[in-house]
Amino acid sequence: MIRPSFAALLLLALAFVTVGSASERERETDDRGVLLAIARAPLKTRSWHNPYAGQPDAILAGKKLFAQHCAECHGPHARGIGRAVNLHLSAVQNATPGELEWFLRNGNLWRGMPSWSGLPEQRRWQLVAYLKSFR
Amino acid sequence: MLLLAVGDSVHASTLQPARALRICLGLLYLLCAALAAPRELAAQETPYFVTYSHHLEEPGNLEIELNSVYGVQHAGNDYIAPWVEFEYGAKAWWTTEFYLDWQGTFNDSALFTGFRWENRFRPLMREHWINPVLYVEYENTTAADKTMIEVVGFDNQADYAVPNSQAQMDHQHELETKLILSSDYKGWNISENFIAEKNLGHDPWEFGYAVGASRPLRLAATSDYCNFCRENFLLGGEVYGGLGTSWNFTRTGTSQYAAPVVAWQLPSGVTFRVSPGFGLNSNSHPFILRWSVSYEIDRFAHRVRSLFR
Repeated sequence: MIRPSFAALLLLALAFVTVGSASERERETDDRGVLLAIARAPLKTRSWHNPYAGQPDAILAGKKLFAQHCAECHGPHARGIGRAVNLHLSAVQNATPGELEWFLRNGNLWRGMPSWSGLPEQRRWQLVAYLKSFR
Repeated sequence: MLLLAVGDSVHASTLQPARALRICLGLLYLLCAALAAPRELAAQETPYFVTYSHHLEEPGNLEIELNSVYGVQHAGNDYIAPWVEFEYGAKAWWTTEFYLDWQGTFNDSALFTGFRWENRFRPLMREHWINPVLYVEYENTTAADKTMIEVVGFDNQADYAVPNSQAQMDHQHELETKLILSSDYKGWNISENFIAEKNLGHDPWEFGYAVGASRPLRLAATSDYCNFCRENFLLGGEVYGGLGTSWNFTRTGTSQYAAPVVAWQLPSGVTFRVSPGFGLNSNSHPFILRWSVSYEIDRFAHRVRSLFR
């Protein structure tokens, strides 16, 4: 019973790494993918107002959240790693706060961007405040 | 610790205080090492032990989780059943997880009880009011398994009174499926799971359920890095139990539990969870205590590949 169990464990560990390598290649969305994904946000999101817009404390909180949740893919300065999108691009910066919040909540699962709906809405708005502070 | 426990599976031995102390010290060492790690990483997790939400592991990340449950038996011979989880985000819509289970029963023995491999898939690519997740798991365990990761059918606390030497002879190959429904609303997560489990050798389908709700103590983040901020704590509760079998779909004669849950997420990527559970009828354990320590490794696959460059 034990030996087959640990053979299975080794096989699964290999599978994890193999699948991981494949997902690593595909996980990061390219700029075009992000543009298309943001464009899918419903029209009503364009009028959504960020309750934390321009608040220094919220921007600092957003920076902390970015370091905890986003920097591993987008890099510590949000310039992108590999194919992970550079968040300083005008395409991202020109999106409305509402579109960005919608995109954070929904993610782009098929292209590797996770959904951040597990973060409370307030924290997503703080992240948006930080992203908008790049301008 | 792993080797020690594997050894237990081959030569089941009496659970001794010295061995339990060594295991605890090992866990403490791991914990201190994790706390001291200068990292900034936090997963978006719910604090439940039994209930699943629609939040999957971030792609490429590996979470290692050490869990344990202490169960009180009506007729004595309480037990501790630890298990280790390796949770990997294969895709943003697919999380795969591997479990290794052990148990130690007082006045009996300690032994390895098997493994599980689960997969969770999000069929819908966008957020909705209710988000479904499909769950499929294969279990290769023995009847001595006491981790109680789910409660199904007519699971009864008296089943756990069977001596380990006898229970470990009963090998179980099971397929477990779940329909996970989960919603986020104003900082709350509300999740409902419907469980259907089948022993592949015999027996009818067994059913169970789990329902949970949780919320962070503070919704907005503070600008400071802190371990004890309210935003790092999640509180909630879960209720779970059996629903009989395909031959007799009922709550009568099943075991039922209610358990508050608390999670403490540190900025270093370590999460602690604890949950005292209470049996709601005479078929249930009167009291169970679950706890866990987890650590998330970001970009795991990338790190592994870089070792071979």
